[in-house]
Amino acid sequence: MTRHGKILEYALSSLLRRKYKSLVIIVAFMLTIAALSSVLFLTGSLKNEATLMLQEAPDIIVQRTMAGRHDLIPTGYAEEIKKIRGVGTVSPRYWGYYYDALVEANYTLLGAGSGTETLNLLAGRLPATNSECSLGAGVAELRGSGDSGELILVNSRNTGVLFTVSGIFQTASNLLTNDLVVLTDSALIDFFGFPPGQATDISVEVRNMSEVPTVAAKIRQMFPDTRPITRRELVRTYDMVFNWRSGMMLTVFCAAVISFCIMAWDKATGISAEEKQEIGILKAIGWDTSDVLALKCWEGLIIALSSFMLGITLGFVHIFFFDAFILAAVIKGWSVLFPVFDLTPHLNLFHIFIMGFLSVIPYMACTVLPTWKAAVADPETVMRG
Amino acid sequence: MALIKVEDVTRIYNRGRPDEMIALHGLSFSIDQGAVAVLKGPSGSGKTSLLSLIGCMCRPTEGKIVVDGKDIVKLPERFLATIRRKKFGFIFQQFHLIKELTVFDNVLLPLYPTDISSKKMQQSANRILGKLRLTEKRRLKIKHLSGGEQQRVAIARALINDPMIIIADEPTAHLDAQLAEEFMGILSILHDEGRTIIIATHDPYIHEHPLVSMLISLRGGRLDGVTPP
Repeated sequence: MTRHGKILEYALSSLLRRKYKSLVIIVAFMLTIAALSSVLFLTGSLKNEATLMLQEAPDIIVQRTMAGRHDLIPTGYAEEIKKIRGVGTVSPRYWGYYYDALVEANYTLLGAGSGTETLNLLAGRLPATNSECSLGAGVAELRGSGDSGELILVNSRNTGVLFTVSGIFQTASNLLTNDLVVLTDSALIDFFGFPPGQATDISVEVRNMSEVPTVAAKIRQMFPDTRPITRRELVRTYDMVFNWRSGMMLTVFCAAVISFCIMAWDKATGISAEEKQEIGILKAIGWDTSDVLALKCWEGLIIALSSFMLGITLGFVHIFFFDAFILAAVIKGWSVLFPVFDLTPHLNLFHIFIMGFLSVIPYMACTVLPTWKAAVADPETVMRG
Repeated sequence: MALIKVEDVTRIYNRGRPDEMIALHGLSFSIDQGAVAVLKGPSGSGKTSLLSLIGCMCRPTEGKIVVDGKDIVKLPERFLATIRRKKFGFIFQQFHLIKELTVFDNVLLPLYPTDISSKKMQQSANRILGKLRLTEKRRLKIKHLSGGEQQRVAIARALINDPMIIIADEPTAHLDAQLAEEFMGILSILHDEGRTIIIATHDPYIHEHPLVSMLISLRGGRLDGVTPP
């Protein structure tokens, strides 16, 4: 075994000798890393889900605004938008939100002609008649309405409407379809009581992606009461929302990080008389300053890396196996009213590297620097007891 | 043949500060290979300071110390550590064993920062523990040993590197007469193996022991006499 191998062996035995002290540090370090990694895993996964979802979004969504609020849009606008050069398919979309008081959850109700062609069905088919619906897996589970089951929803006239479930969705993104209820366009118009010739918004496909901003500007000029939203703007909005939420959580966790740093610093700088004497003994019997530093480096590395790995694992398990039960309410925000959905595991290696860099390195510095101060002293002090 | 040469050595603590203290004043003497030298003198006479200088644990403020042909004063710290590990075996007054480690692990300590294989390390430790009648105690922690046993562990640790020079500081301070005799018996064996032994003590039992071949007397940090001169 090499010199470093044997020093590592001694470092392990030293940590075992001080097992309670080592354990307290590891647990505190691990919980801090678990908390930070949970926030980053959750926001990373949600952003990933959102990105997947937005890949299927139209190039431009045209919404009408009234007093700064989203309002229904006349379907006649679609005919005018089609005339703009470079514009491809233009379709009015029918959708809305529905609060299910029975299970206290929000669903998204969508007309079958409003961009459902990219959704994959796990079982069954899209609704063909006004008495049929297709459901996201979350809604189906929440209401116990499996394939060929039934779903009763209360319409805008406060009348219960019975739908037969014709299919259940699956997609790459659980976020996209989990809370979805798809009806035929006419059934949805009737259910929400849309006025004739009105839609929720209009989706616009542009043939050349570089022309999207120009087309959006033309629509805005043509219909000053509308708000054309490009896909890029949607992605940016999602990023900002999740970054803001994760930033808030990270700010809160800063307290934990600072507490941990203080504890680590206190532990490291407060080398006990016993540890100082041990360093002196090792030097007196022939250990070099670099050998003592190597020993403390190994000790710090063992504690920091094992805590870091355990913390990352704990954060991963918390987010992806236990559905982020501690953080979900804060990060997901209002969407907690949605039926619960499973997060798709998504690891950002850069985030893990940064977390490792900002936790392992400072901890090792806290451990090694005070040791260095003790290790450069003459071993003569040991001779004097 | 002189193994250790001390030439005009002065050691000043806290130099230039109000609490400056001159521990040793211009000492010069030499110790031959295979000698059993005793540094004697009352408390505060500079025995431990001199022992530390000879054992490469610190450098003199002035003067020159040559160990086995090497002037240690100008050597960088890492070379001093190597000399301490390869040439010296230390037996401290308070033993300075690591109490939470076993006898076996304490004895192995000087060998960790070397390229000697673990197997050879264990073989050496077993051999030395056997020689010092500590084989049955090898798995015990230091805190469970008597004073005499702890000293034998300290001796075992000092011998694990097969050093040419043994340095002992007040080795009989915590031992009764019987254990002191036993200790001198062990030193006698080490001397027979050709090792040079340097002991700092004010114990008259050691001063008068037939094994001792050289007495270096110190008083107030100055040389008070060397026998034989």
